[in-house]
Amino acid sequence: MKSIRVGRRAVLGSAVASLTLPRELRAQGTVKPRVTVISQWSSGSSGAAMAALGKTFEAQGGVWEHNPVPGFTTDMMNKLRAQIIAGDPPAVSQLKGPEIAAWSKIAPVVDLDAQVKAAGYEAVVPVELAKLSKPAGHWVALPIQAYRINTLFVSKKAADAISMTKLPTTWAEFNAVAEKMKAAGITPIANGGIKWDDGMKWEIALCGISLEAYRKALMELDAKALNGPEVLAAFKQFRKFGEWSDPGVAAQDYTTFVSRFMKGEMGMLLMGDWAAGIYKRGGFQLSDYMVGPAPADDGKIAFDLNSDEFMFWQKPQKEFQEGQKLLASIVMSKELGPLFCQITGSIPIRTDTDLSAPGFNDQQRKASHAMAEAAKSGRMVLSLAHNMAQTNQITAAMIDVLTEFVHDNRISAEEGQKRLANAVDNVR
Amino acid sequence: MTGRELRDRILPHLVIWPPILISCAYVLVFSAWTVWVSFTRSTLMPEYSWAGWRNYTTMLATRNWQIAYSNLFIYGICFVVFTMAMGLLLAVLIDQRIRGENVYRTIFLYPLAVSFVVTGTVWGWLLNPTIGIQKLMHDWGWTSFRFEWLIDRDKAIYTIVIAGVWQASGFAMALLLAGLRSVDADLLKAAQIDGAGPLRTYFRVIFPTIGPIFVAVLVMLLQFAIKTYDLVVALTAGGPGLASTLPTVVVYDFMFQRGELAKGSAAAVMLLGSLAFVLVPYGLYRYWKRRQGGAHA
Repeated sequence: MKSIRVGRRAVLGSAVASLTLPRELRAQGTVKPRVTVISQWSSGSSGAAMAALGKTFEAQGGVWEHNPVPGFTTDMMNKLRAQIIAGDPPAVSQLKGPEIAAWSKIAPVVDLDAQVKAAGYEAVVPVELAKLSKPAGHWVALPIQAYRINTLFVSKKAADAISMTKLPTTWAEFNAVAEKMKAAGITPIANGGIKWDDGMKWEIALCGISLEAYRKALMELDAKALNGPEVLAAFKQFRKFGEWSDPGVAAQDYTTFVSRFMKGEMGMLLMGDWAAGIYKRGGFQLSDYMVGPAPADDGKIAFDLNSDEFMFWQKPQKEFQEGQKLLASIVMSKELGPLFCQITGSIPIRTDTDLSAPGFNDQQRKASHAMAEAAKSGRMVLSLAHNMAQTNQITAAMIDVLTEFVHDNRISAEEGQKRLANAVDNVR
Repeated sequence: MTGRELRDRILPHLVIWPPILISCAYVLVFSAWTVWVSFTRSTLMPEYSWAGWRNYTTMLATRNWQIAYSNLFIYGICFVVFTMAMGLLLAVLIDQRIRGENVYRTIFLYPLAVSFVVTGTVWGWLLNPTIGIQKLMHDWGWTSFRFEWLIDRDKAIYTIVIAGVWQASGFAMALLLAGLRSVDADLLKAAQIDGAGPLRTYFRVIFPTIGPIFVAVLVMLLQFAIKTYDLVVALTAGGPGLASTLPTVVVYDFMFQRGELAKGSAAAVMLLGSLAFVLVPYGLYRYWKRRQGGAHA
C-alpha cells in the first residue's frame, strides 16, 4: 500500500517537473517571444484575419495565444477589466478610440515610442489615429485596420427599377432618389433599427451636411455647434431616414435585410464599408450593388473614420516583452495590410500600402485613396456611434437620445436637438 | 460516545453549514460591495473615493431609469396578473380528470424549459409586422389585420408581457394544480352533498383553501418580473428607442457597456430595494400566518 503511494507521488513529481522544466530553461536561456491577445474577433472574416496574423507571428518564432471574447467591444472590455483587476492583463488587447486614453490610466502600458520611431511609422499614419494612439504623448497602442463609416450602398436592382446610374452626391439628390424609390414601391432605406445603427445614420447625415459642425459638435462637444443649424438639419435628415425605413425595423439588425436589399425590395444602406464583407460572405458580387461615399453637401471629400487598435499592456516576463516587440513590428510593417485587410475587407492603416494586389478589391482601393486624401487635407473625422469620438459614457448618452428620436415621430427635430445638448451637458 | 454516534451528529452539520456559509458570504459580501461601490466615484474600475448620494440622484434623473421603472410597473403587474389567470385556468381545466393529462401538463410546462433568449427571439419574429403574424394574415388575404405592438413605442412593453406570460403560465399551472389536488377530499364531498355546483365549489371551497399557494406563486412571479433581462434583450433590445427597457437592462448598460460602475451599482442597489419590496411583506405575511396558526393550536 505504502509503496504504491510513494510511487504515485514520484510519478506526479516527475510529471510536474517535466511541465515546469522547459519554461525555466526558456527563462534562463533564449526566450521564445510570446503574446496573449484578447479581442472580440472570434469568427467570420475577422476571426480568420486574427488567425492569419497568429500564423505570421508563429512563423517568425513566436508563441501566439488568442482568447477571443465574442460580442461587442464592451464585452471584451469586461474580460480585460477582470484581468487587470486580477493583476494579470493580456500582453495585447484590442481597444479603440478615446478608450485607449481612458484605459491607459488604469494599468501600466508599454511605451512603444522607440520602436515606432525606428520604423518611421508615424509619418504613414493619419494624424487622427496617431493622436488616439498616444494619449499622454507616448505610443501605447497601434492601429491595425480602418473602416469608412460614411459609405452608401445602393441595391443594383432597386437602382435599375428607377433607372438610376450614379450615386447621389448631396442629401438633396439622395432624398430625391429615396422619394423615387418609395413611389416605385421600394423601401428606400435598408438599415436596421438598433442603437448603434441609429446613432450611425445620424452621424452620417451630419458628416455630409457639415464636416466642420461634426468636428465641433461631436468631437469637441462644443455647445454652440450642438445647438447650431447644422445639427438641426441632421435631425431633420435623420427623421427622413426613419420614415423611409421598414416599419418593422425596431430591434432589427441591418443584416436581416440583406436579402431584401439584394432583391431590390430595399434601396439604400448607409453603413461602414464592412457591409461589403458581409455581402461577399453572402455570395454577392460587386455587380449586385453600387457603393461609394455617402452624400456630402459641399462636394468635398469627407472621411468618417472607424479604426481598431491593439493596446500593449506591461508584463514583467521577458517572453511577453519580446513577444510584444515582435507583434508591434509585424503590425507596423507594410505586410499587415495585405495580411489582415484582404481578409476583413477593411482599409490598411499605412497610407503607403500598395493595394494593387488582386487580393484587394476596387472598393477598398477607392476607400483607401479617400482616407489618404482626407488625412492630407484635414477632412477626416472620428465616428461617434463606433466609439471613436467620445468615451462610452458620452456616446451612450447621445445615442439614447438619437434612438428615441428616430423611433418616435412625435419628437420634433428641435426637441431632439435640445435633448441631445442636454444629454451632453449631463455627462460632460 | 462511540465514533459512529459522533459521526452521525457531526456529519449533518458538515454537510449543511459550509454551503450555507459560502452562499451567505457570496450573496452578502458581493451585495455589500456593490452598495459600497454605488457610493464611490468609480467609472471604468472600482475605486473608493466617497461620492455620497450623487450616483443615486443622477440615476433617478436619467430618462433611461425613469422609463425602465415605469415599464417595470406595467410589466410586473400585467405579467403577474395574466400569468396567474392563465395558470389557474389551465390548472382548473386539467383538473377535470381529462384523458392524456400528463401530455397536456408537459406541453404547458415545456415553455419554462426554454431559454428566455429563445422565447424572445421567436416571439420577436412572430410579432414583427413585416415577417410574423401580421404578414401571414396579409398573405392569407386579411389585409386590414394590424398587430404592430412590437414597433409601437407605447405598446412594445406589452409584447414582453405576452412572451413572459406564455413562458411562465405553465409554471403557475403546475404549482396551482398541485394545490388543487391537495384539497381534502372530504371537503369536496361535503360541498357536493350540500349541493354546490362545480363553479361554486371552486370559488367558495377550493380557491380559499389554497390561498397560501396563490401567495407563493405571486411572490415567485413578482421576483421573476423584477429579474427579467434576457427576454427584453432578445425580444425588443429595449426598443423602439428606449421604450421597452427594464431596470436590469439599465444596470447592465451602465455597468458593462458604458463603464460607469458606480452609477450601475446604484441602479443595482435600487433594484435590490425593489426585490425587498416584494420579499419583506411576504416574510411578514409568513410570520403573521405562523403566529396565527400558533394561537389557534
